[in-house]
Amino acid sequence: MGSEPIERRVAYIGDRLKGSRCPFCGKEYFRPRKYCGSCGRKSLGKMEDIDFFYEKGILETCTVIREPTNRFTRLGAYIYGIVSFHNGRVRVPGRLTDIIIKGDETISPEVFEGREVVPRFRRRYSVDRSDIIPTISLAFTFADEYYPYQQYDIIKPSKEYDVPGIVGYGVYISRFRIKEGAMERSVPFIDEDAITAAVEAGKLALIHSGIDHRLVGKIYVGSESNPYAVNPIASKVAQVLKLGEEEKAEGVQGVDAVDTEFACKAATSMFKDAMALVYYPRDPMDYVMVIGADNAQAAPRGEPGGELDFFVGFGGAAFIFGMKDVIAEVEGWYSCTSDTPDFWRRDLEPYPRHGGRFTGEPAYFKHIIKAGRKLMEKMNLKPSDIDYFVCHQPNPAFPARAAATLGFKPEQYLPGLQVSKFGNTYSGSSPIGLAAILDQAEPHKRIMIVSYGSGAGSDAYVFVTTSQIKDKRERQKFTVKYQAENKFINYVDYATYRRFKEGL
Amino acid sequence: MREKPAIIGVGRTRFGEHYELDPEDLIDEAGLMALDSAGIERRDLEACYISDYLLQVTNKIGLEEGFISQLLEMNIPVEKMRSFSSALMNACNAIEAGKYDVVLVGGMEKMTDRWSKIRDNLMLLVDHWSYYAGGTPEANHELLLREYIKEYNIRGEDQQKLMTTLAHISVKNHRNAVLNEYAHFRREIDVKRVFAARAEEQKMLGLYDFAPISDGATALILASPRKAREYTDNMVYVISSSLATDFISYPSRPYRTGFLASRIAMEKALKMAGISLEDIKLLEVYDQSTVLEMISLEDLGFVERGTAWIKLYKNFEDFKGYYDVDGKRIYVNTNGGLKADGNPLGATGGAQIFEVVKQLMGEAGQRQIKPDGDFLYGCVQEIEGFGTKVYIHILGREKGGK
Repeated sequence: MGSEPIERRVAYIGDRLKGSRCPFCGKEYFRPRKYCGSCGRKSLGKMEDIDFFYEKGILETCTVIREPTNRFTRLGAYIYGIVSFHNGRVRVPGRLTDIIIKGDETISPEVFEGREVVPRFRRRYSVDRSDIIPTISLAFTFADEYYPYQQYDIIKPSKEYDVPGIVGYGVYISRFRIKEGAMERSVPFIDEDAITAAVEAGKLALIHSGIDHRLVGKIYVGSESNPYAVNPIASKVAQVLKLGEEEKAEGVQGVDAVDTEFACKAATSMFKDAMALVYYPRDPMDYVMVIGADNAQAAPRGEPGGELDFFVGFGGAAFIFGMKDVIAEVEGWYSCTSDTPDFWRRDLEPYPRHGGRFTGEPAYFKHIIKAGRKLMEKMNLKPSDIDYFVCHQPNPAFPARAAATLGFKPEQYLPGLQVSKFGNTYSGSSPIGLAAILDQAEPHKRIMIVSYGSGAGSDAYVFVTTSQIKDKRERQKFTVKYQAENKFINYVDYATYRRFKEGL
Repeated sequence: MREKPAIIGVGRTRFGEHYELDPEDLIDEAGLMALDSAGIERRDLEACYISDYLLQVTNKIGLEEGFISQLLEMNIPVEKMRSFSSALMNACNAIEAGKYDVVLVGGMEKMTDRWSKIRDNLMLLVDHWSYYAGGTPEANHELLLREYIKEYNIRGEDQQKLMTTLAHISVKNHRNAVLNEYAHFRREIDVKRVFAARAEEQKMLGLYDFAPISDGATALILASPRKAREYTDNMVYVISSSLATDFISYPSRPYRTGFLASRIAMEKALKMAGISLEDIKLLEVYDQSTVLEMISLEDLGFVERGTAWIKLYKNFEDFKGYYDVDGKRIYVNTNGGLKADGNPLGATGGAQIFEVVKQLMGEAGQRQIKPDGDFLYGCVQEIEGFGTKVYIHILGREKGGK
């Protein structure tokens, strides 16, 4: 049995790696403290808050753990050691994550020691299914491998727009993939889940946008694979990323946070809400963040619902909406909804079921085509007026057919078609496609996105890129293409994929 | 010396697995043996200082004092500490303060009773951030070894020599334990076997580099010097008892190539005893791993920093039963150390004291050492956690005493 107060305290400090710095002698501490041991009384109450969440550390010393303590056994073997920050001013214990060590593999610590590492927000260890999920950022990956170190600089906005739009975005796809035929799908490492993917995507969006995290007024997280039935992902994202003004005395963030659920459109649905909030004239919010993140679930092959197991992926995308330094302005939107239960998961069931052949024509195609056509009609646009088209991607065939039906050519829809690289990332699916387009679009290009959520409905939006899209591009090394074609991708077999997906 | 508290009796159980015995059975056995060897009755006891680390979690026993009261059928003060050295230190303080004249110091542990959880329980002795990051009871020993290797730039063939030295330490301790009737492991091993275990486990340090998980109990009778002389003229005095602490978090310590607390405690202990290192002929160090035996020789000042690996290596080329460092001879872990005698945490320090007392009194049987010159002093280092608390006890006997 876990302890709720301990989980709160450990996560509050450990998820963000919070510490203190003495303003007099510069001494630093991991885990905050009220005074400096060297400077004593004069430093009491004057210690500065620091944290190591966006920092780069050095793995100073390490060893391989092959017989972990009980709660870590599902991790298998891993590297454990001492990580230093700020030229050795602070040292913390740490575990390397995203590395598979085979039983007979010889590990030489010398190979790893001295290398730069980045803290990663992950699950801490296994607990009972009924317990609070423990998290921590004392997990690290190498800064020169799959996940690059990126500095988070807050940049003062230079331009205010008349209409709201996308200010920045981030996509997080795990390092692990399973490849079957022409299709590659992203696989979470065993300590990842929809919560960690949401935090990663949000972190990357902050880095890309350069906005002040304190100015985010609301955070939406859309997911259908939250490991909790009750307990939001959004509150974790808000706390770890320090969204909104921090009320330090109480340890709360001045931000509204909520999870949304509508199968794969849980995130896109909130785009318009986000834009409405930043546009609201009486008390506008500076920024609103929307994240779609899923550890897409599927029953094992051969079991009912197991057909999905050929297509599911893992990952998330985060978008920040606002009125300043916009990279893509919104032009219009349209949504449609019907009570069509083509895909569902009952409470307490681990895997979703679907309506077989009826998931296509009367569900996916009907809603996407309706929403896409209606929005073009409403805005008086022809397919040729639109430079890029992206829609929900449950498999490679459906989105291509939907795009063609709407009158789009491959050069319009291929840039956003990412399903054969990552699989179906559910709530993250069409948003990741949109991000892939934003990664490469020139200014003044028109993009249409149409999501689809089973149950059922579609959200269609048209965005037009601004000149600032190019200015911000250099702030994001971790692009969709970088994640799709990375030499550090680790391909796993089917058994490992299933094991990792089940998690700690 | 004649003003110091005196040990007038010692007792212990065999260390190892005691499937059929409860913790109170073990402490009963060790306690009776200590009373017997002191030649006193339980009614002579005025207080007890006992120790265990983990009975609360392994055996769900939370008020050990009551068990002791019930065993003794007495209502005397009983206090419970964590380590045996801690209990001994507190007993010494009380006797030196004039509060009691005769006390029992006892330690017990029953680590095999909850075997599947014992390594998790041992993580109670390190900081929880290390646990949360995936640390194990063994991990810090390997990190310390890596820090040592890097600090002194021990590469290639030298590193091989260092690893061989560590293997020899294990072999030596196993050999010593063969002659120890109470030891957990009474069988010889060879260097090849130590290396084979490391290779099999694909680890820097393997099964034979670490002390085992043991059950056991130890006890001694401590008396004020005045009272001690009423009972016997064959006694060993506790001439110094010191303690130093260090950060619970090993990664955050500024000094990580050894234990600062060992150095500080030893300096204090020597000063208290008014003797020099050269006077100490027998040393029982807390070799939870082979690395700790090597490092402790440096921490305690017997070997210069960064040189123990090579100096011991040379000793092991033709080992004579003691370490010869720059002409100084020191016997280390003659009972087999934690490695082979066993490591039932709360009782471990008692076995170290037991060994030094027996050796100083000339009652160590086949293990009896006969150093050149006067053999008057022995030293015990006991560590709680990973260098977090280090106790040093220096025991001495009077020259010309029996």
